[in-house]
Amino acid sequence: MIEILMLLLCTGIIISGVLAVRLDSLVGAVVSAGLASLFAAVTYVILAAPDVAMTEASIGSGLSTAIFLYAVRRTREDD
Amino acid sequence: MADTLLTIALVLIAFSLVFGMLRLILGHTTVDRVIAIDLLTVVSIAIIAWYAHYAERFIYLHVALVYGLLSFLGVLAVARYLEKGL
Repeated sequence: MIEILMLLLCTGIIISGVLAVRLDSLVGAVVSAGLASLFAAVTYVILAAPDVAMTEASIGSGLSTAIFLYAVRRTREDD
Repeated sequence: MADTLLTIALVLIAFSLVFGMLRLILGHTTVDRVIAIDLLTVVSIAIIAWYAHYAERFIYLHVALVYGLLSFLGVLAVARYLEKGL
């Protein structure tokens, strides 16, 4: 039961990583990269590391998405 | 009884995960993708809460709480960006 869930989550990490590289829209790519770390946090919980999951959720999903969006706004106004 | 309900919940969560990923892949506009990621955030919180009951370690519910707060922050940052505010 938990193996199917882990399979789906790891497939989600791979798909969002590929999307983050290949999408044309920069905002879509940033958001896909945030989703990869969001799924990684769930995977850390299932691998019995809740403190790592909490750090990954706060830094990977919250902080890095906001900083990337700020950088995109500062560098390319015409996207 | 509780096991049956948990199995049904896991099947529903898995379907929701698959269809959310489909919307993320197929999504025509950026807003579609942002909405799909908001959905997948809620699905992830459901997975953590389900696993906290499955593994009988209720400390994992704290992770779900922090996760909910911070993923809301991420979607909020994207919404501010799309409205040219960030």
